[in-house]
Amino acid sequence: MAIATQGTASNYLQRAPSPSGLADVVDLILDKGLVIDAYIRIAVIGIELITIDARIVIASVDTYLRFAEAVNRLDLTQTEAAGLAELRDGGGNGGGDKAKGVFEGVKEKVSGKD
Amino acid sequence: MSVQSPPEPGTEELPATALYCYGIMAAKAAKAQPAAGLGGETVEVVECGELAALVSAVPPGTVRARRRDLMTHFDVLGKAFERGTVLPLRFGIVFDDEAVLLDEFLRPRHDELVELLRELDGRVELRVNAHYREDAILAEAIRESPRIAQLREATRGAAAGHPAMLELGELVSAEVQARTARDTRALLERLGPLAHRYELDEEPIAYQLLRGSFLVERKQTEAFDRALEEFASDNAGRVDVKLVGPLPPHSFVELSHGGRR
Repeated sequence: MAIATQGTASNYLQRAPSPSGLADVVDLILDKGLVIDAYIRIAVIGIELITIDARIVIASVDTYLRFAEAVNRLDLTQTEAAGLAELRDGGGNGGGDKAKGVFEGVKEKVSGKD
Repeated sequence: MSVQSPPEPGTEELPATALYCYGIMAAKAAKAQPAAGLGGETVEVVECGELAALVSAVPPGTVRARRRDLMTHFDVLGKAFERGTVLPLRFGIVFDDEAVLLDEFLRPRHDELVELLRELDGRVELRVNAHYREDAILAEAIRESPRIAQLREATRGAAAGHPAMLELGELVSAEVQARTARDTRALLERLGPLAHRYELDEEPIAYQLLRGSFLVERKQTEAFDRALEEFASDNAGRVDVKLVGPLPPHSFVELSHGGRR
């Protein structure tokens, strides 16, 4: 049932048969799925894993300042060098952290005791 | 809003007869379920006409949204999905007993659920997640907007609170948003025709290009994969693209009313 991952497919695209991180699972099963009428008991406690933090509102003064700081920090010569290295390696780091940097860590602030 | 916690956390004890429900499938596909349920409880099948609900006893206490339990809920549905179409329920739905499950859900909703199963037959959910690489997208903004480059020079090394910082940030933000709109459109032009329908997660997340679910015919998944691969290849070094699935259709199960989205 796996999607074709062989043949001509290169490694530009990161593929996974199922969500790898807790945040992705939360997206899928706390946010989606059939919900039944209100009279059915919903018996969940301990949802400490609200990912609201990740939903950064793009248009705010605070965000503008973060963008400004990010472009100021950026070393253009280094970005170009990194881009070239990536092309040589076939691109993509294959996994893990996306959208790092200014907004680092916001998405993975999801807790779970076990 | 994104993650909606259920409105009333079930802090009270559940009755011993309580059944946790994972999802619904066609009775003829449901048979014995191989997966273990929450707390290691056996997953059982409650049939009603053409339908079967996948349920298990609730472990002592209440259901908690622990990592392990969330994964279990997901796994039970994944295993069932290998045997046939399944309608996933949201995490945390518990019926007081089998009679309540039958009388208040399966029987009154029977035809609607059967219809939904029929509609989703042979279709899978594919989740797509595309993010810009921060450095790459910011470098583009600087290179292609003279005003951004100029303000950047003016404010580099300046004390925090420099008045031009706000203008700079606003311009960068606008530039990133314009690119996002353009690239999202381009991506949807490739993927849209291969999907029966799709649902995009709309909350703005920094540097997110697109995050959403596509309902795709199972036999179209390879074509979908190729189209996305092409996009990833064309945008190598600036966008990271992830494809998750095939999954049960979590994002495409809605009843005509009574659904809370």
